Amino acid sequence: MSSIKDILTPFTAWKNVFKEPVTVKYPLTERPGAPRYRGFHKNDVQTCIGCGTCESICENEAIDMVAVAGFEAKDGDSGLRPKVDYGRCCWCALCVDVCTTGSLCLSNEYTWVDTDPDNFRFIPGVDEKSWDKNELGWKKPEGDYEFYGLKRVEMGELEPDERNHSFIEMIKGYSKQQAEKEADRCVECGICTATCPAHMGIPEYIKAIRNNDLEEGLRILYDTNPLPEICGRICTHKCESVCSVGHRGEPLSIRWLKRYIADQNPSEKYRAILETENLQKNGKKVAIIGAGASGLSAAHYLVKMGYEIEIFEKLSEAGGMMRYGIPEYRLPYDQIDKDINYILSLGVKIHYNVNVGKDITLKKMSEDFDAVFAGTGLHLGRSTCVEGTDHKHVYQSIELLRKITGGEEIHVAEKIVVIGGGNVAMDIARSLARLQKIKYGKVQVITTSLETEEKMPADREEVIEAREEMATVNPGWSPQRIEIVDGKIKGLHVVQCLSLFDETGKFNPQCNLDNKNFFEGDMIVESIGQGMDLSYITEDIKDHLEMGPRGRIRVNDNFQTSVPWLFMGGDTIQGPDVIHGIANGHKAALGIDKFLIEK
Amino acid sequence: MKKIIENLGYKFILYEVEYQRKNLTFVTVDKENTVQLLAYLRDYEGFKHFVLMTAVDWIEDGLFQITYILNNPKKKIDLAIRTKILREKAKMTTAHHLWNQVATYQRELKEMFGIDFPGSPRVNESFILEGWDNIPPMRRDFDTKKYAEETYFPRLGRGTNDPSEYMKQKLYPNE
Ligand SMILES: Cc1cc2nc3c(=O)[nH]c(=O)nc-3n(C[C@H](O)[C@H](O)[C@H](O)COP(=O)(O)OP(=O)(O)OC[C@H]3O[C@@H](n4cnc5c(N)ncnc54)[C@H](O)[C@@H]3O)c2cc1C
Ligand code: SF4
Ligand code: SF4
Repeated sequence: MSSIKDILTPFTAWKNVFKEPVTVKYPLTERPGAPRYRGFHKNDVQTCIGCGTCESICENEAIDMVAVAGFEAKDGDSGLRPKVDYGRCCWCALCVDVCTTGSLCLSNEYTWVDTDPDNFRFIPGVDEKSWDKNELGWKKPEGDYEFYGLKRVEMGELEPDERNHSFIEMIKGYSKQQAEKEADRCVECGICTATCPAHMGIPEYIKAIRNNDLEEGLRILYDTNPLPEICGRICTHKCESVCSVGHRGEPLSIRWLKRYIADQNPSEKYRAILETENLQKNGKKVAIIGAGASGLSAAHYLVKMGYEIEIFEKLSEAGGMMRYGIPEYRLPYDQIDKDINYILSLGVKIHYNVNVGKDITLKKMSEDFDAVFAGTGLHLGRSTCVEGTDHKHVYQSIELLRKITGGEEIHVAEKIVVIGGGNVAMDIARSLARLQKIKYGKVQVITTSLETEEKMPADREEVIEAREEMATVNPGWSPQRIEIVDGKIKGLHVVQCLSLFDETGKFNPQCNLDNKNFFEGDMIVESIGQGMDLSYITEDIKDHLEMGPRGRIRVNDNFQTSVPWLFMGGDTIQGPDVIHGIANGHKAALGIDKFLIEK
Repeated sequence: MKKIIENLGYKFILYEVEYQRKNLTFVTVDKENTVQLLAYLRDYEGFKHFVLMTAVDWIEDGLFQITYILNNPKKKIDLAIRTKILREKAKMTTAHHLWNQVATYQRELKEMFGIDFPGSPRVNESFILEGWDNIPPMRRDFDTKKYAEETYFPRLGRGTNDPSEYMKQKLYPNE
């Protein structure tokens, strides 16, 4: 039997109706996360580069890198974006703190109810969420701490007054400690690999430096690049321009790290380390024209595959523009020799002082060999053809550099004007500055170009270093004529150049004829680009060659021309730079192998 | 807050004092004095409410840091007491007699870091990790990633791409 109390109890609950509730009403609108609360992810997907560093750091494997419509793989961006699995995320925010671009953060939103568990996997910034516009939440605090160094380990170089009177190498190279410290900054994303024309295993060899396994490092270098001492010094290092670490800090010194590996391995040990002591011959012969970057690269990969290789080289030493163009203070000869001698040690033969087309015909080569690779480069100087360029003290930079690097004496005037704004112009200006310093004790070189300072094609560091060495760089002028009095050059007349290209993108410089200038000088050097000399390709062969755009010979993906036994690469096809030559030579070697196996 | 810290300084040796914000201060003390200091704060300085206690693994220094956070409800201020103990055979004086719930926190720290609090009720019983067969998971030498890979299966439909491999497929598949 129930007592009267039992009956009344339900009604006593009514007295609580008008009291303030102890629990909080749902949804928890009054309980936003703290300002720095670590809630659901947000990602600025336009800034994100898909480096996957957030995925690598996640201890819970909560992040996948996935393809997203509208984002394509391109230089410096994988096109992938992080997708988070909230079944695993523990909101530690390591992914935010490590993010190389700063695109990733956590909002302070932490409540979300859904009946489908799969909805808790989403791509922040792509799959729209209610917190996408929340300003609050966790962002990596600026300047507090860093997971990797943002600053480069500084590279020692000779001071301007130590280097301006000699051709001694100016970059000193990293010590073990410096190299390891620099290598430590790499997040191993591999974004750089696609941009390198040879697709070098960059994060892999940087890792070898961290592990102090430099023999492994050397093997990785030679997988894709048989000229590492050279590239470790003068490569155009496009890879560094896309390095993930460069978004918030300074990109890795990829080039100097490559040099470190090559420098540390002694040449006597190369064949043992690279396991090339017992190469088997396959009985087939390939001829190569030109011992430049592309020819040497093709030779290296072909000889390793068992081919007998003979290189025909016009000049008395191997290296092409790397030896006869690039000045010694950037690339010392003993380093060129180290790379080349290793290739020769594999059994590659070079016939020096043989000018193909004159001393031996291409036709004859095609009969004596199973295939031919031509990497003859760009060796003809171009002239502005302004009035006075036929004077004997008007020179082509490419010829002067060939003489300087070949150890020949050249005419060095007290005042010199260089026409050109590219790297070659900087090389000749800086070489002449050194020679003037030695001869006259002072530098009076001025370089000028059509392009303005911002548009000059030369690398920034080259311009800065040229100025440090007291050369004057005065860009933005168009050469009009060379003033000659009594048979002697007095200088160069120029007018202001306003633009280089017309609306259709055609080269068509526009000038302000009223803004004139005169650069005093008793010697003029033209450095406005180089052309190719393909006269060794005789008409009977040429008739069968398909041409591509801009007067270049057409090649397929294997660098094979439409004359099946003739392969071409290097500056005549792509570039111009050493690493394209190397990549072309490698691909051509693989193409030749394929061609000869199928034949 | 300054006044309280000053008073405290007469009675205990304080190593570091960090005024984090107006209503939160961190103080570091010797492990021998820690529990005494907690009792003093509770009984004489009005820090009646125990907020939480937690630990940090300073593996490089061979130390664990234990932090107790107390609250003074009248003054609406928090005081955090930090102390460091040796990481090897980690052991700390229990404080469960001051607030009952401390026992629960200590049980958690035993499980997560392997820090022992002899005399603390049920300190050796598992807290949330029933059947755990590895080193305490909050120790930094515990390899969370390896453990996650070995123990849990990925959710169906998950899949990832290596950025560098993906770029090769998309940009230069034949090289
Ligand atoms: C001054 C200067 C500075 C440079 N600086 C850099 C730099 O910093 N970084 C960089 O990456 N690149 C640089 N380059 C470009 C780089 O040197 C070239 O891109 C690279 O060497 C091209 O390689 P290649 O194999 O195509 O030709 P080359 O290296 O030019 O070699 C071609 C070879 O073929 C030989 N040859 C030509 N015709 C015949 C023939 N008929 N018979 C026999 N042999 C023949 C030539 O003598 C030469 O040895 C620079 C170039 C110059 C001129
Ligand atoms: S670390 Fe940052 S930039 Fe790299 S993929 Fe993740 S979110 Fe994008
Ligand atoms: S060098 Fe830069 S881009 Fe290349 S793997 Fe390392 S961090 Fe990534």
